[in-house]
Amino acid sequence: MDRRATLSTLLGRSHAAKATPPLETPKPPVLGLTPYAGTFGFEQAAHLLRRTTFGPKYAQIKDAASKGLNATLNELFKDNPLPNPPLNYDYTTDPNVPVGSTWIDAPYVRDTTNGGILHQGYRNTSLRTWTYETILNEATSIREQLTLFWHNHFGIGDNQDPKFWYRHITLLRTYAWGNFKELIKKINIDPLMLRFLNSNQNTVTAPNENYAREVLELFTIGKGPLVGPGDYSNYTEQDIREFARALTGWRDQGYNVTDATTKVGSFFRISSHDAKTKKLSPRFDETVINNGFDKEHETVVDIIFSKKEVARFICRKLYRWFVYYEVSAEVEQNVIEPMADILVQNNYEIKPALMALLKSEHFFDVLNMGPMIKNPLVFSLNLLKQIGWNAMEASDLATRHKALAALIREVANQQMVYFDPPDVAGWKPYYQEPAFYRIWINASTLQARMRLTDRMATNNYTVGSRTGLNVLNFANTMSNPYDPYLLVEDMVSVLLPQSLTDPQMTDLMNAFLAGTPDYEWNTIWTNYTKNPGNATARSSAETKLRNLVKAILSLPEFFLS
Amino acid sequence: MKRRNFIKTAGVAATVPMVLNGMKISAAPMSPLFSGIDPYSDKVLVIIRLSGGYDGLNVVLPLDQYSNLSKLRTNILIPDTKALKISTETGLHPAMTGFQQLFQDGKLGVVHSVGYPNQNRSHFRSTDIWQSASSANEYVNTGWVGRYFQDDHPTYPEGYPNGQFPDPFAITLGSTVSETCQGTVGNFSLTLTDPFNFGKLTEGKETLFPETPYGQELSFLRTSISQTNQYADVIGVASKKGKNQATYPTSNLATQLKNVALLLSGGIKTRVFVANLGGFDTHANQVDASDTTRGTQRELLLILSEAIKAFQEDLRLMKLEERVLGLTFSEFGRQIKSNFSMGTDHGTAAPLFVFGSCVGKQIVGKNPEIPVTVPDQTGVPMQIDFRDVYGSILQDWFGVSQAEIKDYLFANYTRLPIVKNCAVATDTDDITFEATSVKAYPNPFREMSRISFRLNGSAWTRISVFDNIGSELRVLMNQQLGAGDHQVDFLGEQWPAGIYFCRIQVGREVQTVRMVKI
Repeated sequence: MDRRATLSTLLGRSHAAKATPPLETPKPPVLGLTPYAGTFGFEQAAHLLRRTTFGPKYAQIKDAASKGLNATLNELFKDNPLPNPPLNYDYTTDPNVPVGSTWIDAPYVRDTTNGGILHQGYRNTSLRTWTYETILNEATSIREQLTLFWHNHFGIGDNQDPKFWYRHITLLRTYAWGNFKELIKKINIDPLMLRFLNSNQNTVTAPNENYAREVLELFTIGKGPLVGPGDYSNYTEQDIREFARALTGWRDQGYNVTDATTKVGSFFRISSHDAKTKKLSPRFDETVINNGFDKEHETVVDIIFSKKEVARFICRKLYRWFVYYEVSAEVEQNVIEPMADILVQNNYEIKPALMALLKSEHFFDVLNMGPMIKNPLVFSLNLLKQIGWNAMEASDLATRHKALAALIREVANQQMVYFDPPDVAGWKPYYQEPAFYRIWINASTLQARMRLTDRMATNNYTVGSRTGLNVLNFANTMSNPYDPYLLVEDMVSVLLPQSLTDPQMTDLMNAFLAGTPDYEWNTIWTNYTKNPGNATARSSAETKLRNLVKAILSLPEFFLS
Repeated sequence: MKRRNFIKTAGVAATVPMVLNGMKISAAPMSPLFSGIDPYSDKVLVIIRLSGGYDGLNVVLPLDQYSNLSKLRTNILIPDTKALKISTETGLHPAMTGFQQLFQDGKLGVVHSVGYPNQNRSHFRSTDIWQSASSANEYVNTGWVGRYFQDDHPTYPEGYPNGQFPDPFAITLGSTVSETCQGTVGNFSLTLTDPFNFGKLTEGKETLFPETPYGQELSFLRTSISQTNQYADVIGVASKKGKNQATYPTSNLATQLKNVALLLSGGIKTRVFVANLGGFDTHANQVDASDTTRGTQRELLLILSEAIKAFQEDLRLMKLEERVLGLTFSEFGRQIKSNFSMGTDHGTAAPLFVFGSCVGKQIVGKNPEIPVTVPDQTGVPMQIDFRDVYGSILQDWFGVSQAEIKDYLFANYTRLPIVKNCAVATDTDDITFEATSVKAYPNPFREMSRISFRLNGSAWTRISVFDNIGSELRVLMNQQLGAGDHQVDFLGEQWPAGIYFCRIQVGREVQTVRMVKI
């Protein structure tokens, strides 16, 4: 039985017919990287945008569907300007940074009472609310998803100087779909990374292997099975040692400084560099690295990237981020391998390989629509972006950022904190077998998720004042808000990855109209649109819409993408 | 076949001599494995995580080391006159009057200098190590308590709760799931912020799930929601039925423990509770400049001491004392030298506390030895491996067999006398170590120092050398030795001049010898 075909029928949707497998085959064949040639309608556009952005609005999906797949992909990868730097939004006591200015190059002030520094806390908060704001304001672009992908990839999570963080995250944002090999060369000497994995202590007299180990195991080629003493198939302990030696000599500067002249950056100290020859294991063809001074760290990257396994490794990670956690043997063969080929052919430019994945028949396979449990950030920002959040209507910058700071705590309760993945391997749901995405879900995070959706939907979310979802505007952007059935269908099609069963739709209608005859909704909406300033008319429509939105958001289907 | 399951089936009928795994039952009459007790006895473990890495040297005060310590910690040392003494040479921080009282009542034990070889000084990594009970160089994704539960409930969470196991196996107070309770698939701990506000989630209509990845994930979510709601019912019943009898101070930790006592008095059958007190990462202002008995750490220790004292009192009034054992841990201790910000930086080993009426009045291990001078970054050398603490609790509190414990901890462990009065097993180990016989000669040394010691009987012996930041440089010996005199050489020519610690563990006894290479 072809489950894909059954499902399509079950869902009452048309789907490009594929070659029917023999009847005894329990599983349909795994579709590959062949470009998708079926219909690119609302549901396909919604699927693409759900996976590549932090939540598309109804109009965005409509627009993408009418433009077509290729035009939408071009828009997703369009090189929009990077966000303006974070500002001091409301902190009035930093003498070096007035409210409204950026702090990214400003020195700290020495705390004479204990030798520490002052005025760092608000910058940490600003960095984080600025990140949320950037995501909330992003239109049809894949950049923020990829920025978070790389943040997860490099896994830096210690509480660090926010000025270092700004450089780091800007590097990730810049290279979002850029050249992976070049990105690793930059990461080698990124000031934040130099500190995080102790490369700043890696010297000729006291080599520190921490970074060399992780760059192989987690950032580029990955650890294969242990097949001999210190031999992880793709590399050996000898390679870790020798690469560590080749990477010696780099230091960060500008950490927590209180003077205006020392800028955040990194520098090469030749006396700390190991100038002797390094020799790699047979895993790297016994390559010899001669002293290359401050360029030697780039040679390390070139050597690692000469192995195709690097391409497979990063393609698997991209797959787990954008498609599904299970990388079966068929997926490995039909998707990962051809994707890795594209990556290598394009000298490790991410864009062509990722675009090939996102336009493939594999990506648009109905089996890949909806089985991803959203991470807490996607979950929380989905509802705010797709429906609209009143807090962001505030004209005052400080008020908006106060609301964002509160939102960050809500997401933290769901166990995800931007700039604080649990360890260098990133968030567990993206690598931890066998549970993967399911790790996000437990009794506490379930309650945290539902508390957020309930309070947002019912306007009981309070930051200073009540700042819930803008349900009136949400309804107003649907195809025909006067028709209660169409309205519910439209909302479901935006917010949920697959359609609901008839009894579920009936439940939603009951939650919405609460027993009043369906034609009354037309009257209620007409009254409101004619007199939007009339509190009674407004409240009458708003109450019903809030009940409806609450019912949709509390469905477990909303947890899925 | 797992022994516990066997016993569960065999029950008390196993009174006639029989041979099990080649071992005559009558030969081990006191072992819990053969006593026919319910493997799911009513014993409860409460784990309190002190996150941030706490400065053990300012918590359990090594009064006999003060002449050196006072030079290394001029700005933060607690005056010895203010120490709350629990022995002639050991005191507690002056804020911990509650702990002192518990110690005097025989309800608090101290385990000195607990850590692990090659101490990782990252909060995250070291917390992972403590929670997973892995070695420093292993990455393990399950928790030690999770593995314990998983052995008997391999399909969890599928099919749970059920008629036989209606209660959550573990409860984490707060909103962070405890990795300690992580199994391969599910986490055995239910997260609970407030038992009176454990909201029911919307379950929605039952629908058929298509046999697709989407259907499977949807089914998982529905199961999780329904499981949460079923546990919510259990929590609701227990919190209504239960009643606190003692007065608790106002603190988050006190509230967490109050809820634990409430649920226990309400009849919940949860075996493990995990509570948390954060803020111990005291790089700055650990103490006030004007008075070292005040400051951040004092506030935290006061919260800890008062909360546990109230909890213990509550359990006493509820007549539940003998069912509950408590354990604190922090991911690492801090460095011996204080910094210039009235604080301390990430270090290595630290003392931990066990509490409950079954722990007995005891101090396991010795005060750490503080030299006249120490290089920067030196931490307190480890005396006791944390897995020895876990293993001893599993064995003596939960009655788990040694073979299974080795599986859960991936290592041999040494049984420590933590659980005393109400131990499910009796302690028959003889002390086999003449502590006073331990010598390192020459010391200071240039190339080689010989470590010698005497055993009274046969014992497993592990000897290793650490550097001053807690890295285990070399294991000199790890084997069973017979009675008599023994010696082993430490060849140190490849190591730089400086201070080294030789740790000798014989059975459950530990000695640390400080060696100086010149």
